[in-house]
Amino acid sequence: MEVDSDSDISLDLDHQSSKAKGKAKAKAAADKKKADKGKAKAKEQPYVWEASFARSWDTVQEDEAGSLQASVEDLMARGRRRRLLAPASAIRRTIIRHLILVLDLSASMMDRDMRPTRFDLMLQYAREFISEWFDQNPLGQIGIVGMRAGLGERVGAMSGNPQEVLKSISDRVKLEPVGEPSLQNAIEMARNNMSHLPTHSSREILILFGSLTTCDPGNIHDTLDTCVQNKIRISIVALAAEMKICRELCDKTAGQFGVAMNEGHFKDLLFELVPPPAQRAAARSARPSGTNAGLNPAPANPAADLMMMGFPTRLPDASIPSLCVCHSELKSQGFLCPRCLSKVCDVPTDCDVCGLMIVSSPHLARSYHHLFPVKTFTAIMKDLDVAPDAADACHGCTRIFPERATNAKEGMSPFRRYRCPDCENDFCSECDVFIHDVIHCCPGCGK
Amino acid sequence: MDNSSHLSVVLDLSPAQWYQSPLSLDSFLAQLLVFLNAHIALKHDNSLAVFGALPDKSVMLYASSEPPMDTPATSDPNCYPPFKRLDSAVTARISEQLEDPLLDVTTPSAIVGALTKALCYINRLSVATGLVDPRILILSVSPDLSNAYIPIMNSIFSAQKLKVTIDAGQIYGPDTVFLQQAAHLTGGSYLHLTETSALLQYLIMTFLPPPSIRKVIAVPTQDKIDFRAACFCHKNIVDIGFVCSVCLSIFCQPTPVCSTCRTKFPIKTLQRLNASRPLTISSANNSARPTPVSTPRSAATAARHPPMSAESIQNGSGTSAVANGSGH
Ligand SMILES: [Zn+2]
Ligand SMILES: [Zn+2]
Ligand SMILES: [Zn+2]
Ligand SMILES: [Zn+2]
Ligand SMILES: [Zn+2]
Ligand SMILES: [Zn+2]
Repeated sequence: MEVDSDSDISLDLDHQSSKAKGKAKAKAAADKKKADKGKAKAKEQPYVWEASFARSWDTVQEDEAGSLQASVEDLMARGRRRRLLAPASAIRRTIIRHLILVLDLSASMMDRDMRPTRFDLMLQYAREFISEWFDQNPLGQIGIVGMRAGLGERVGAMSGNPQEVLKSISDRVKLEPVGEPSLQNAIEMARNNMSHLPTHSSREILILFGSLTTCDPGNIHDTLDTCVQNKIRISIVALAAEMKICRELCDKTAGQFGVAMNEGHFKDLLFELVPPPAQRAAARSARPSGTNAGLNPAPANPAADLMMMGFPTRLPDASIPSLCVCHSELKSQGFLCPRCLSKVCDVPTDCDVCGLMIVSSPHLARSYHHLFPVKTFTAIMKDLDVAPDAADACHGCTRIFPERATNAKEGMSPFRRYRCPDCENDFCSECDVFIHDVIHCCPGCGK
Repeated sequence: MDNSSHLSVVLDLSPAQWYQSPLSLDSFLAQLLVFLNAHIALKHDNSLAVFGALPDKSVMLYASSEPPMDTPATSDPNCYPPFKRLDSAVTARISEQLEDPLLDVTTPSAIVGALTKALCYINRLSVATGLVDPRILILSVSPDLSNAYIPIMNSIFSAQKLKVTIDAGQIYGPDTVFLQQAAHLTGGSYLHLTETSALLQYLIMTFLPPPSIRKVIAVPTQDKIDFRAACFCHKNIVDIGFVCSVCLSIFCQPTPVCSTCRTKFPIKTLQRLNASRPLTISSANNSARPTPVSTPRSAATAARHPPMSAESIQNGSGTSAVANGSGH
């Protein structure tokens, strides 16, 4: 414990520069509005080890009336800005994703700089991440690998069932951190888990890394090269400080790298990786063949592919019980593989007998909102934009709008009105968030 | 059981459909109001909201959290005031909306709009007060609209997220697959009304008990939900399809170019898939495989699935109703 906190301090100088770099980068990417705010924020919330002890319930501020409105608004403003940064048009995204989540289970995870410990926080966020990830990527699969005692350790096999994945990390005692981490061993193990996957699906490795060392049996740069060849995208969320090899792993494989400054930032960094990544290469080569047919190589788009999928028959609850092929349990419900007629318990899955990918049509539909997103609503800023005959209540939830302008945070409307560009109906800030993050469909125009 | 429950009702008020229905809108409303009164009478703090789906627009007709200001001047001493308020507000708002001269009666009604509004409202209430067991009851008379497929599915998924149960009743016309799926995916019941004179009884027996006590009473369940998909090219129902990895369009046979997003597929894949097809042809033929008991594969089942044409995704122009049975 002592040694670890010492090493943090000795690296602090190094760290300052990387922090500055990171900040510069974040600023460049961020909206102008966000910049000043981000700076102010960074001043309030330094790295956790620089901050004096604060309880999580102290950071939420109540206003004079004792309500949490201000904090809630802050959150909403942050969500709005994030959406404004995102490209508005429909982009191609990888829908079929395969992710190996690599958890650092080395001794340095017992550090208490993030409360209660890095390890407990990581497990908690990993669980939330997995639920959210499956919600947004219903056709994806997650496997889990641990780094502990210099080895890579398979914690959970690749699975499309959130319950199964969550179960594999539910037992805290089995994952008790010990020893040194080994990036190379863990990445090799993750890579072997994904080597059989077809090219149209994404192969991603997400590493939650809390150490400042790695203990590798060979040259990690060779591993990096193979990952680049295999088109594996590595993203790392570091809890301690930036390591050069980590940055390099992410940059060379087009992944994302981030160092968590505090608990909230850790969660933000992690959840940025939930939505499916945009497929830039695919968009380029998929232009109508007339415009740049000459430029397209013959295998037009290695990332795009035609997949064979089976749509199963759901057995009614009252049918005669039979054994399932996945768990060998006797039960009535289940789905029949359309090719080999074997019975599986849950979809989506790959048929255990014939290997056909089995999905139901609602699973496909669950991914459509990534491809056809709702347009960003415009915040009404000026008095003039509020027409005299404008509706006095939110078009979604019929909450009454304030009559006069109120002071609002940057990017938020002082009238609390957000207008859909298509149907020109006004919505309250809560509905704005709800429509874009949850429903993905405007109540006014149904698009 | 001890908790109060929230009910949002979405009424399909399409004039064209009600005109054809054997049940008149008046008698429907009379029976519905008894049902709504029963809901607010069941528990003191039960809350209720009523939304109307009209051609091309949707309105909130009543919400118990915002009682209408204009209380009826002639209060009836024989009537419980909350009932009176609800009944007069709903009927007044409906006639006001239906008498709108700008109403184009032929346009299909905006069920999606009303449903999403109901969700927004429930979201607002649950943020403010923490609702337990909210549910939505959709009473529809219109057939499925193919271009509403994505929005309806999105609404279903957000209902799942909010833990909202969706019940659906089809008062008139053919079964709708969308509402069946909505009820199935959110754990609600779907009811296709065959005996219109018994509407009130159906409503009270099936939709009045809140989801928490439905475990102990027998409400209609459905076991023949169709999870197969329709190909985008011919609207055939397929059980093995070929799916574009970029836009998830479904085709019944391997194609070199995706018709929705114009992605070209590698030749190698086409060869591989074509080579493996002979296996699938026999299984695609329904008669060749044993069908599970009590999963009828009648022509009607096979033909009612959300057909989603490439055009309607891309420009949303497909306003035509789903041609039920077009696949055959
Ligand atoms: Zn099983
Ligand atoms: Zn099979
Ligand atoms: Zn609202
Ligand atoms: Zn709109
Ligand atoms: Zn076809
Ligand atoms: Zn496509």
